[in-house]
Amino acid sequence: MLGKLSWSAIPFSQPIPLIAAGGVGLALFAVLGWITVKGHWPYLWKEWITSADHKRIGVMYVLLGLVMLLRGFVDAIMMRTQQASAIGHAQGYLPPEHYDQIFSAHGTIMIFFGAMPVIIGLMNFVVPLQLGVRDVAFPTLNSTSFWLTAAGALLVNMSLVIGEFARTGWLPYAPLSETTYSPGVGVDYYVWAIQISGVGTLMSGINLVTTILKLRAPGMGYLRMPMFCWTALGANMLIVAAFPILTATLAMLTLDRYLGFHFFTNEAGGNMMMFVNLIWAWGHPEVYILILPAFGIFSEIFSTFSSKPLFGYRSMVAATLFIVVVSFTVWLHHFFTMGAGGDVNAAFGIATSIIAVGTGVKIYNWLFTMVGGRLRFPTPMLWSLAFMMTFVIGGMTGVLLAVPPADFMLHNSMFLVAHFHNVINSGVVFGAFAGITYWFPKAFGFRLDEYWGKMAFCLTLAGFLIVFGALYVLGLEGMTRRLQHIDFTEWAPWLYVSVAGIGVMILGVASQIVQIVVSIRNREALRDETGDPWDGRSLEWATSSPPPAFNFAVLPKVHGEEPYWTIKRQAIESQGLADEPPYEAIEMPRNSATGVVTAFFATLIGFSMIWMIWWLAALGFVGAYATFVVFAWRDEEEKEIPAEEVARIDRARRAARSKWLEENREQPA
Amino acid sequence: MTAHAQDPYRIGRGGGADSTTGRGEGGPASKRTTVGYGFWIYLLSDIILFSGFFAAYAVLARQTAGGPSSHDLFGQERVAIETAALLLSSFTCGLAGVAAEKRKLVPALAWLLATGVLGAVFLGLELIEFAEMIGMGAGPQRSAFLSAFFGLVGLHGLHIAVGLLWLGTMMAQLWVKGFRPQVLRRLMCFTLFWHALDIVWVGIFTMVYLMGVAP
Amino acid sequence: MSERDIDPADTAPGDEAAEGEAFAGGIASYAVGLGLAALLTAAAFAIVNLPLVWRPAIPMALVVLAIAQMGVHLVFFLHVSSGPDNTNNALALAFGTLVVLLLIGGSVWILGHLDHAMMR
Repeated sequence: MLGKLSWSAIPFSQPIPLIAAGGVGLALFAVLGWITVKGHWPYLWKEWITSADHKRIGVMYVLLGLVMLLRGFVDAIMMRTQQASAIGHAQGYLPPEHYDQIFSAHGTIMIFFGAMPVIIGLMNFVVPLQLGVRDVAFPTLNSTSFWLTAAGALLVNMSLVIGEFARTGWLPYAPLSETTYSPGVGVDYYVWAIQISGVGTLMSGINLVTTILKLRAPGMGYLRMPMFCWTALGANMLIVAAFPILTATLAMLTLDRYLGFHFFTNEAGGNMMMFVNLIWAWGHPEVYILILPAFGIFSEIFSTFSSKPLFGYRSMVAATLFIVVVSFTVWLHHFFTMGAGGDVNAAFGIATSIIAVGTGVKIYNWLFTMVGGRLRFPTPMLWSLAFMMTFVIGGMTGVLLAVPPADFMLHNSMFLVAHFHNVINSGVVFGAFAGITYWFPKAFGFRLDEYWGKMAFCLTLAGFLIVFGALYVLGLEGMTRRLQHIDFTEWAPWLYVSVAGIGVMILGVASQIVQIVVSIRNREALRDETGDPWDGRSLEWATSSPPPAFNFAVLPKVHGEEPYWTIKRQAIESQGLADEPPYEAIEMPRNSATGVVTAFFATLIGFSMIWMIWWLAALGFVGAYATFVVFAWRDEEEKEIPAEEVARIDRARRAARSKWLEENREQPA
Repeated sequence: MTAHAQDPYRIGRGGGADSTTGRGEGGPASKRTTVGYGFWIYLLSDIILFSGFFAAYAVLARQTAGGPSSHDLFGQERVAIETAALLLSSFTCGLAGVAAEKRKLVPALAWLLATGVLGAVFLGLELIEFAEMIGMGAGPQRSAFLSAFFGLVGLHGLHIAVGLLWLGTMMAQLWVKGFRPQVLRRLMCFTLFWHALDIVWVGIFTMVYLMGVAP
Repeated sequence: MSERDIDPADTAPGDEAAEGEAFAGGIASYAVGLGLAALLTAAAFAIVNLPLVWRPAIPMALVVLAIAQMGVHLVFFLHVSSGPDNTNNALALAFGTLVVLLLIGGSVWILGHLDHAMMR
């Protein structure tokens, strides 16, 4: 009846996961209880859970990503402390089978459920605003994408309490991940969580590519789009082209595990290196899926806070598209040591060095953007500057690893671990924090506290440099990754240094939380009245903060690059806003529960497939199909916002702008 | 605008001229174009999904582990009938699209039904082939070659099955609701989907069946 | 129907070009496509069964015929063209094709070398 599921699935003998899960569960129930007591459910259901508004969905994505980043960070703390406390005769506090689950969960959560949701959330929120349109191409699909990602995250976290997680690393290399060597449900949790959230990511990619290529404000030609839209286009093209490869690879692994196929097994002619080959054919583009939007965020921030247009815009566009294409020709550098031979290794080594050129172009463009500008240094700019400094180090260690003979020495060492954290952490995570502080006032109508923001920045950067500086050294001293116990006491000092570093990072994370709390309490003082708190240049700053549901009362007409900058200069020069436009009623997509219901059934399917409860899985498929039919049958897709309502909202925005013009009259035009 | 042209910070940028590049500068595209394009992008991702299985087949095709090889297993007659059925169904599907363009309900439904029947014939033949192979001990567990074969051809069959489910649902909707814009858009997407599956089948019958039995 | 006439510079994939094209339109397009596809399929089957082509060249001949038939499907069934209204559709297709070729070709190349090195 219940497949493999029984009471023995709950790890009563292991206190750490039980206590952790108990804590998370208690917090969850406390939040849910608070919502119920306060009667917030109808509001949450109507305004958030079933919302098809790209801004709301973007905010939910970022929120999910931040919570999961925190969860992955806890795993990181456990790994650092375990290694530092298991040197020589000491054994630490985590047994090997548990430690293996932790490093697997850390990578999986950080990439799929931390970094990806934050990046996709920012693209979701910002791209339609920058393009000057009212929503993404497929609003209900967007909601479904988000909820499927959330369903995947839920499954991963369920594995804490029910059963176990994979012990195979964040990419479940075959044949270790085959049933012969991993008979438990850990790998199945991984596979179903990633497949379900992968479908969500793919749909989100399709949605954003279509939005950028087909929905833009009148006059917004390709070479007038803000840089962030270009990098978002590149990243989403990569999602569309790369995620199916992941789906295919994991489907083959599933067939191996569930039906005894021989794609990647040792026996019957299976080829385990085919798994490594295919997974990295997705895995390398994935790196650029994460980093390209971050490059876009930095481009916006450097330009805004240098009070100048972005230097070398066209070369930036070219570099982005260059990276998109070339990122599909470098995947073998993840397994140089496989033994394919000199020709193959040389070709991919050269391609890897070449792709660094695209990033190099961008670094120089950002530097030249700052040259001669009126520079300001609020928190987003600080994150960007720190990114530029640390990312260059990470990039150079990457070029070093791209040389096959050097890679043979450094493969799977702590040097590699330090390298990819150096690029992902300082690229994607700093980019995410920069983007969140930059666009936070747009989303919520008030800025984040600068003091605590700078505090968080300093502590995080210092902690990051200490941790990964130490790991670089350990790698060069020959330490390999994923060690549960360390036999060489010579490594001890550097392991202690990295623990100290992570202590500093904990303070940084705490400062971020304090920053949010303080900002919410002081929100009246930090209020963004005009909708343009940073003296911005692209269209998202043309509307109020937070923007109305329809974003723009009238779609802006674009006559050049940096359309909002032009509008603003005209307003300042003529000391008045443009004439009030004629307002019309606006059609907006209706709310839909399709997304959250689909995700419910997807979770059901995933859970019952993991535990082999076949009837429940079948029920889940029927439910998902029924949801689809109900959605397809609905008669009204859109609701209308009447012209008076639009006029009322837009007049309030215009009043705030006029007031600002009035107060800043003495400013030179 | 002229001031901008001499601004050294604008070097390498579009300049002030009011000329734009790229499509869609006339504002957001129509819903039909948007939906069609989105589905087109999905189809490309689906083709890449197939290409993963094609790659696995190309790599594993010779790993028979002492079991039957493609020469022992594949006949040409059934494949020829399958190919003909799928090609004809692509044709009837196109005709259904033309009938829908002209808002002729009964011909549209009839051509869609023909598409569905031909698709079902294809699927039935494929299932018989699978059953026969498994019956003679050449199931996917036998060797990596057979795993890759069942994976690739089975994935295509799964797509056809899902397509048939979609087709049935859409025909019911067409019958009940008539030619609404949403239904027409879905019909357009279905046509694209069905044609794309035929293109994938061209790859399969060439690479798997014909190359598998070629002397 | 009226929805389609809005933007002549931008056509949905699968839709025929906005200005009625004589080359590939309506039922005629599907009939021509069906004929050509049937011909190419028949040729592929014939090459395998009849001694028409030099034996070692058969796989290459099959690949050529398959690519030709995919082209026929794209033009006559999916109405992909090189016209200005189809730029986005064709570019997306080109990108997808590039990735497909890189993935299949790369995998075969990489694992072929591996098999060689492992003497499999």
